[in-house]
Amino acid sequence: MPDLPPPEGQTAMIGIGEYRIGSFPMMTIGLGSCIGLTFYDDTVKVGAMVHIMLPDSAGRTERPGKYADTAIALLLKELTARGCKTRSLIAKMAGGACMFEYFGANLNIGERNAEKVRAILKENNIKLAAEDVGGKVGRSVTFLPSNRGKFSIRRADGTNCEI
Amino acid sequence: MKLSPIQADAIQELGNIGAAHAATTLSQMIGSTVEMSVPAIKSVDIAELGNYMGEESAAMVVFELQGDIQHGGFVIFYITRESAIRLTNTMLGLTEMDRPMNEMDESALLEVGNIMVSAFLDATAELLGFVMLPSPPAMTIDMVHAAMSTLIVSMGDEIDEVLLFSTELTCDEHKIDSDIIMMPNNKTLAHIVDLMEKMMNPA
Repeated sequence: MPDLPPPEGQTAMIGIGEYRIGSFPMMTIGLGSCIGLTFYDDTVKVGAMVHIMLPDSAGRTERPGKYADTAIALLLKELTARGCKTRSLIAKMAGGACMFEYFGANLNIGERNAEKVRAILKENNIKLAAEDVGGKVGRSVTFLPSNRGKFSIRRADGTNCEI
Repeated sequence: MKLSPIQADAIQELGNIGAAHAATTLSQMIGSTVEMSVPAIKSVDIAELGNYMGEESAAMVVFELQGDIQHGGFVIFYITRESAIRLTNTMLGLTEMDRPMNEMDESALLEVGNIMVSAFLDATAELLGFVMLPSPPAMTIDMVHAAMSTLIVSMGDEIDEVLLFSTELTCDEHKIDSDIIMMPNNKTLAHIVDLMEKMMNPA
C-alpha cells in the first residue's frame, strides 16, 4: 500500500497516520498539532512522507505512521531497503502548532511531537535540513521528490513558503 | 464503539432536540427563520478525516465537554468564513461583505457560539438528566482539518476513529450556513446511549 503510486499525474494524499514512499507528488493537508515529515535522498531520487499524530507509540504496533517513534523507524527501514544511506537523507518537517491552549488530556502535543521528531533524527544521525513548526496556525504541505524534494507550505493565514 | 440502528436513532433524536434549541436561539439573535437538517451521524477513521474536512478556512467555536465525565469530547459551532461575515453583518447592521474578519466579528461569533452550544447542551441535559458542562469557549479561524485533528489528538492516544454528529443550521434570508458538531469520546457516548436506552425501555 505505501508503495502504490497514485494514478499518473496525481498527487498522493497522506491522511493522519499514513505514509508513502516513492518519487510521485505527495501532499498532506490541515496539519494542526500533527507533523508532516519528509525524507529525501538526492542520490537515489526517492522520497517519503508521513503524517505523524503523536510522539510515542508506547508499544503499539498498529498504525506505525501515527507515532513519531514507529513512523521514523519504519521509514528508515523502508528507505534503506531501497538503497538510501542515512547520511544522504535529508529530513524536513512542518506542523506542531498549538491551536487550542487548554483542552484535553494531551497538552502541548504539537511541541512534544516536534521535539520527539528532532530527538529521533538526531539519534539516527539524520540531518533535519529545515522546519516550520509551532505557532497557532494550520498548515498544508506539498512534497515533490521528483523536484529534488521540494517542500512547500501553505499556511491558514494565507502566507506560503518553501523550506 | 459501534452503534446499533436503534442506538443511532436515539442519538439522532437527542441531536435533533439539542439542535432545535440552538436553532431557536440563532433565529432570535438574527431575527430571521433558521432551518435545520436531520442530524447526520458519521463514523470517521482518522486517516480519512481529510475526505470530510479539508484545508478551507472556517470559524469554529469549540467547547470541551466536562462535568460528570472529564475530557468527554467536544461540541463545535462551525461556520464558513463567508457565512460568518454575513452573520456578524446581520447582527451589527453592516453590509460590506468583502472585508477581513476583525476583533468585533470574532467576539460576536464567540458569543453566538456560546449561546447556541449552551442551548444545545441545556436541552440534552434536561432530556437525559446528565450534565455535560461546556468548558469556556475557544475560537479559531483556521483550516478545518487542522483544528479538528488537533481536537481529536487531545481526546487521547488510542483514538483511531471518531463519531461525528452534525446538524446543519441554515438561514436562507441571510445566506448563512453553519453546523453544530458533537464529537463525544467513547465514555460519553456509552453513557448517553445507556441513558437513552433506559429512557425508551423503563424497567
